[in-house]
Amino acid sequence: MSSEVTAAGKPFIHHHSAHCESGATSALFRDKGVEISESMIFGIGSGIYFGHLPFIKWVGLPITTFRSRPGTLFAKAAKRIGGKFFTKRYHSAKKGMAELRRVLSEGHIVGLTTNIYWLTYFPNRFRFQFNGHNIVVLREIENGFRVSDPVLEYPVDCLTEDMERARFARGPLEPRGFMYYAENVPLNPDLRLACIAAMKDTCKMMLRTPFPFVGIRGMRYLAKKTISSPDKLGFKEACRRLANIVRMQEEVGTGGAGFRFMYAAFLQEAADLFASAELSQLSKEMTAIGDIWREFAVVSARIIKQRGQPEETFEKAGGLMLICAGREEQLFRDLDKIARTLKA
Amino acid sequence: MKAQKELTMELEDEIFNDGLPKAYYKHNDNGQYVLETNAPWAEKVSCALIIAGNRANLEEIRKAVLAGQKSPLCYHMEMRQMDPGMLAKAAGIAGFRVKRHLRPEIFAKLKLSVLNRYTKALRVTLEELKTVPNS
Repeated sequence: MSSEVTAAGKPFIHHHSAHCESGATSALFRDKGVEISESMIFGIGSGIYFGHLPFIKWVGLPITTFRSRPGTLFAKAAKRIGGKFFTKRYHSAKKGMAELRRVLSEGHIVGLTTNIYWLTYFPNRFRFQFNGHNIVVLREIENGFRVSDPVLEYPVDCLTEDMERARFARGPLEPRGFMYYAENVPLNPDLRLACIAAMKDTCKMMLRTPFPFVGIRGMRYLAKKTISSPDKLGFKEACRRLANIVRMQEEVGTGGAGFRFMYAAFLQEAADLFASAELSQLSKEMTAIGDIWREFAVVSARIIKQRGQPEETFEKAGGLMLICAGREEQLFRDLDKIARTLKA
Repeated sequence: MKAQKELTMELEDEIFNDGLPKAYYKHNDNGQYVLETNAPWAEKVSCALIIAGNRANLEEIRKAVLAGQKSPLCYHMEMRQMDPGMLAKAAGIAGFRVKRHLRPEIFAKLKLSVLNRYTKALRVTLEELKTVPNS
């Protein structure tokens, strides 16, 4: 936490968050006077997900995701809480930058979708071509912008050139200068209604999906694929795939265990909101599932490190994933039932 | 084998010692969730493996360029962690042409206007684009 000043001269408190999109969205709400935590936004935006997309390759590796598609978290959270947001994409980089300056000079803080590779204030390990990183711009400074990056502990400076490149990067999921700021936010939003809608939506996405690659079915699919991967791909390539899964689970701003801990934090907050013992129980269950995901990550890391323990095998890693799938399925079924009984 | 192990250990420490920690959710003693900044071990290992893989790949390509098997464009594309499709979009050149330009004999004959598109897309100077670093 550290305080800053926005272009309008208002104080802005930077909160360190685990995930970029929920962090940026909650920063925009907080700036308008709605105290809302990152995990709450994450839950209301239905951020938790699972998907394994073998047909979309990214630097030669299939994509495994533990979160919903970039952009949907913000859109859903804004809609359910009832805020009116200005959102726009631009064809011309020049126009996009001019608009950003204009909006900043009006005293708004602005959320932007950027490419994380071209933001040079990040150290090397963060930087890879990913077009869904969200940041909050506070004000313009000499040849650059003051940026509150939710993933970092403190606000940083960003050069104009970097910013333009990052906003208008090309490739999959192009941000095309996507920019959003709050125009009008209700001061006392009905969080209970928003939570119920979000929980139902999350259960639908995880349980009732027509595609075999997403939700609980996706988890089972990936688990089976992981078990057979060393025979099919060879040990080295299988290790790379496994490392990629662990990286997606732990590294890219998930708050640990592929967003499962963050969702448990949301369930805990929701339990307080509804004074519901059942939700509190589910939060504990989600934490336990997160611990199994962590264990999966540790087993995978041991396989990758080739620590020589014969008990750490791909079968064990895949088995842990299957356990996660089974327990998460039960959890979301329970959550679906509970969400239907809650009163707004 | 032992030397290699130490090398990856060093890499883990090196890439995570930059003073910019990420936040992780964690249970505290009262059962409440709080944020902490210690990266889990599994993350360090997988991140180090991927980065080591990228570096090794880049080094291999650098040697291939020096041996005349690949064009310097291939090296710079890999350095920016792009693939031909992304570079094609960023430079505004058709994908099949970008793939052709990865061959050294074709890259050597490129016009300045085409090279300038690549320098802009990859954010390198013209001299850098035509060569690869010596080490």
